[in-house]
Amino acid sequence: MKKFEDILVQCIEDIKAGRSSIEDCLDRYPSMREQLEPLLRIALEIREPPDVKPSSSFKVKARVWLMDQIHERQPVTKWPWFRYNSQVKSIPYRRRFSMASIILVIVLALSALGGGAAYAAQDSLPGDALYPVKLGTEQMRMMLPGDDVVKAERALSFAERRVGEIEAMAEKERPQYLSLAVEGYDDALNMTLARIERAGDKGLATGNITARVAEATTKHLSVLDTVYDMVPPEAKEAVAHARNLSETGYFHAMAALAKNNTVRAAEMNLAAMEGRLNRVRARVGDVEAVEIALQQFEAMAEFSEEISQIAQAIGLNITKVEELVAEATSIHLEVLADVWERMPEQAKPAIERTMANLQIRHQRRVQALEQRGIKAPTAPDIQPGQLRERLEKRIREQQMEWSVPDDVPQGQGQTCLAYRR
Amino acid sequence: MYQNNSEGQALDEAMLVQKAIGDDANAFGRLYDMHVDRVYRHIYYRVGNEADAEDLTQQVFLNAWQAIGRYKKMASPFIAWLMTISHNLVVDFYRAKKDKAYLEAEALADDSSLSPERATEASFEQQSLRRAILQLGGDEQQVVILRFMEGFEFAEIASVLKKKEGNVRVILHRALVKLRNILEKERK
Repeated sequence: MKKFEDILVQCIEDIKAGRSSIEDCLDRYPSMREQLEPLLRIALEIREPPDVKPSSSFKVKARVWLMDQIHERQPVTKWPWFRYNSQVKSIPYRRRFSMASIILVIVLALSALGGGAAYAAQDSLPGDALYPVKLGTEQMRMMLPGDDVVKAERALSFAERRVGEIEAMAEKERPQYLSLAVEGYDDALNMTLARIERAGDKGLATGNITARVAEATTKHLSVLDTVYDMVPPEAKEAVAHARNLSETGYFHAMAALAKNNTVRAAEMNLAAMEGRLNRVRARVGDVEAVEIALQQFEAMAEFSEEISQIAQAIGLNITKVEELVAEATSIHLEVLADVWERMPEQAKPAIERTMANLQIRHQRRVQALEQRGIKAPTAPDIQPGQLRERLEKRIREQQMEWSVPDDVPQGQGQTCLAYRR
Repeated sequence: MYQNNSEGQALDEAMLVQKAIGDDANAFGRLYDMHVDRVYRHIYYRVGNEADAEDLTQQVFLNAWQAIGRYKKMASPFIAWLMTISHNLVVDFYRAKKDKAYLEAEALADDSSLSPERATEASFEQQSLRRAILQLGGDEQQVVILRFMEGFEFAEIASVLKKKEGNVRVILHRALVKLRNILEKERK
């Protein structure tokens, strides 16, 4: 005879799969009806939890912290130079070297190869014999004196080099080593962000370096877009990963910048959003590229709200920021409406979604400004037609999804951004 | 950051896990990207507020990195293992509060924080059910959440809890009986 718990589980599975109803199950096991029914009803009531997402800034900050913890706890001897040993000879086991012995090896290598080798190494790419020397000299540069801001700048310069290498390998049709450069980019960017964080903790001024990281990562995104379009399919994943890393770095830097200079952060974020719209316009017809660029655009649009929230949390006036964003949004909507006309049908829903989200946020922003007696540009009128109908429908759906009581903070991200670390 | 929607996602993850076990921090970073949303959502459901959910989520991944050498892919996917770490951290978190009433107070007092984006969906019944689930004991709560909310198979849950599949079904039965009792008491 079947055990009760097996019957219970089977009934739940059958009902959830639509193969059966509660009554069917109860009819099948009449002697267990009284016991079975309340348990079935409870089990069927339990649903997936609401789709609560962590904020972009938390995810970024947590990732940087995690990488920092991991690298701090790894033996200091985990030099990237050593990771590329597979290009020279394979190493069957991981060995540990002291910092002194690593430096000694680099110095000996340079002595053997001649001073010119160090210079020649600077143009080398992953896969080249001298590439480990290039990375080794970078590590040595990190050991030179300097505070955390200076070291962050050095690390950022290495990140820029990695992007340059990625671009060069795509142009030279050497995609097989792309993932090595991407790993190096990840390392360098994490190092940059970790140093900025430490600098901030020590009370050093980080406004300029965070702005530079935000600018640099925006440029990296554009470069990586071009590289993505160039490389063969088997190399695209590595480049997509590099793009994700750029975004991570971008959001982290922007979150830090927003605390120092909200208006500058808002202006830079809007410029980055325009960059994404340019990508959309340049790739009309490429559904995948358009969808990715729109996702990036939307993440930045959400981030505009977070910039305001960060500013509010530390007691800054956000009116100027809100005005800037409202004006830009109006233009973004016009651009998207124009792009929609030229898009293939399968890409239109993605644009409609983006426009609907923008409109809803824009309405809220305009209302908030008007309550403060400030007139903000309203959203452009969309001509009656297919786009307008679809947009109106999406806006209704989105508003129902986002519908919250008045006393609860609105928006899809989290609203309390307390930086505890 | 985007989820990788390609067909070989499970294979990619297996490769990343192997690399992470081999001390590859970058691979672990990608595992973080893949799973942070889901871990956060799971913890948020159980602690009911953003600050604690963020703290615990960070800690889950650090603990996972430190224990990655012990992860063995049996019947449980990597995310199931992360859920176990999450569960243990949440249990420790409440234990540190030293007061079960805290658990009830958090769950009862702050309905709006449960789902600020979907407040209309969070009906009174769902709130009662959530409160009841959070009052279950360790394994019972874990089985209910992993099965009904996270969608894991019994074999996967068994692997995570290091129990036999049959035992997991017994635990589920027990959990549902307890939920029924808690809800009946509440209605009175």
